[in-house]
Amino acid sequence: MNKRFRKMAIPYLIWLYLLALVPTFFMVVLIFLDMEGLDTDNIRFTFDNFLQLKEVSTLIALLNSFKYAFISTVICIILGYISAYVLYKSHIRNKFLVLTILILPMWSNLLLRTQALANIMEPHNIITDLLGIKVNENMSLAGSGIAVVIGLVFTYLPFMILPIYTALEKVEPMLEEASLDLGANEFQTFFHVTLPLSFKGVVTGSVMVFLPCMSGFAIPEILGKGNIVMIGNIIEQFFKNMNYNIGSLLAIVILILILVSIAIVNKFDREGETIR
Amino acid sequence: MKSNSKVSLLSGKKIATMAEYGYRDLTVLKKSLRVIGYLCVGIVAIMLYLSIFIIFIYSVNSSSSTTSFGHFTLQWYFKITEHRMLSDAIFNTFLVSICATLISTFLGTLVAIGLHYSSKKFRKHTMLLNNIPLLNADIVTGISLMLIFSLLLKLFPYVFGFPTILVAHIYFTLPYVILNVLPKLSDIDPNLMDAALDLGIKPSKALFKVIFPAIRSGILSGMLMAFTMSFDDFVISYFTTGNGFDNLSIWIYGSIGRKDLTPAVYAFNSIVIFGAMLILIMANIISIRNAKRKKEYENKK
Repeated sequence: MNKRFRKMAIPYLIWLYLLALVPTFFMVVLIFLDMEGLDTDNIRFTFDNFLQLKEVSTLIALLNSFKYAFISTVICIILGYISAYVLYKSHIRNKFLVLTILILPMWSNLLLRTQALANIMEPHNIITDLLGIKVNENMSLAGSGIAVVIGLVFTYLPFMILPIYTALEKVEPMLEEASLDLGANEFQTFFHVTLPLSFKGVVTGSVMVFLPCMSGFAIPEILGKGNIVMIGNIIEQFFKNMNYNIGSLLAIVILILILVSIAIVNKFDREGETIR
Repeated sequence: MKSNSKVSLLSGKKIATMAEYGYRDLTVLKKSLRVIGYLCVGIVAIMLYLSIFIIFIYSVNSSSSTTSFGHFTLQWYFKITEHRMLSDAIFNTFLVSICATLISTFLGTLVAIGLHYSSKKFRKHTMLLNNIPLLNADIVTGISLMLIFSLLLKLFPYVFGFPTILVAHIYFTLPYVILNVLPKLSDIDPNLMDAALDLGIKPSKALFKVIFPAIRSGILSGMLMAFTMSFDDFVISYFTTGNGFDNLSIWIYGSIGRKDLTPAVYAFNSIVIFGAMLILIMANIISIRNAKRKKEYENKK
């Protein structure tokens, strides 16, 4: 009699096919076409779109995306692991409070937060004005690579801490006690028991930080002030200029990178328990 | 710990020290690491809350300049409604995220129930596809949806705007609801449903009387997540909107480009943060109180 409930899931599968898979195939088709917008009048088949992948601007953007996403992810891993560990070891057993502290900043608009950061990176800003400090004009961070990394780390750090904290919570405390009883000191216990058992949280967190860092376009645009172009900015430009063909090509490049990352996560975290 | 092995006074034999047994004194190292740990948490807290603090300062600054502080004022909080474009954008944001959250919570719960009773193969297949909206980059999701919606342009020339942005938001919030509800369903005692049906209730009514109350906490957390994601979304909305239908993020992005961001938007943002803080603290207090009451009840038993 519960069979009648099954019917409720079927429309969702169709919905997913329609909105997740069909557009992907559509994009793959678009790669091999040359046309203006989605105008079907002057349509022609071509491989020329792939030449865009050899353009210096695209390569620099891809390189930038990788470089900044990688640096930000590494910083997030270090800061995120240490703070997740301290939170886990502290006597705050109230997970809800930890979640609240981490999620609250996300309620504030991402673009506003980024703009606020961009403003205080200028040599003259509201903090120097309030405190009455005079800062050297050359001390400006605005428009530099460091600014972009700061923006990415500040924004995506919670996405690293949450999965690591979740993974640490699932580590059986008795295993640590057993290790200590058997003569390992705290550091050996950490490196041989706690770290390996919570490593899947690190992997999940890394993917959840790396992917949005790599594909975003608002943060590099606001904090990079046009000096730093990432792949997201190029895709946005192509779609803005109605060049859907090259835009789709670059989007598919990102999609392939995402699929690789999902495969990596699946390898480490089969139950999918740290993805939330 | 530096100490050479001592000679026992009684037997004259050498006694091994703690260090020779492999013991090392790590107190100093531990203490310094603890300090580094707390330092790290402090840095992280600053990282998370610095920009919110700056936004708050801007919102009470009498001058609309972002580089100098005039005097304390609350005028911007009253100017939110006066600014036509801003209040429209705020209205649109709430309209889209509330509609999307309600629809995707309702549909997501039904889909999760359907999936729970489906065959394992079907469920696995659907859950795999369910990850696509969740893990895909926002920009790729936005572009995909825009392309699909463009195909509708010939039939409905004015489709871009509220309808497309709503469908897009439902699309990326549904997986959160499903992922939150599904684990709660497997916690339900399967006999509960059978008992309800045996007692003569219709399956559709049993859904509302038996299953929904049992998975309430999953539905609520899914709903909260869906609203958070929908409320703060920029990239997907940016690609799927049209015909001048701006939500807050799109409007802010445009204003940043034009360099004419009004401090009223900082005021609105601060209100949202304070509101969210209040709600979350209250929810926290309620959950602690419930846990205490439950404990007392169990103790009495």
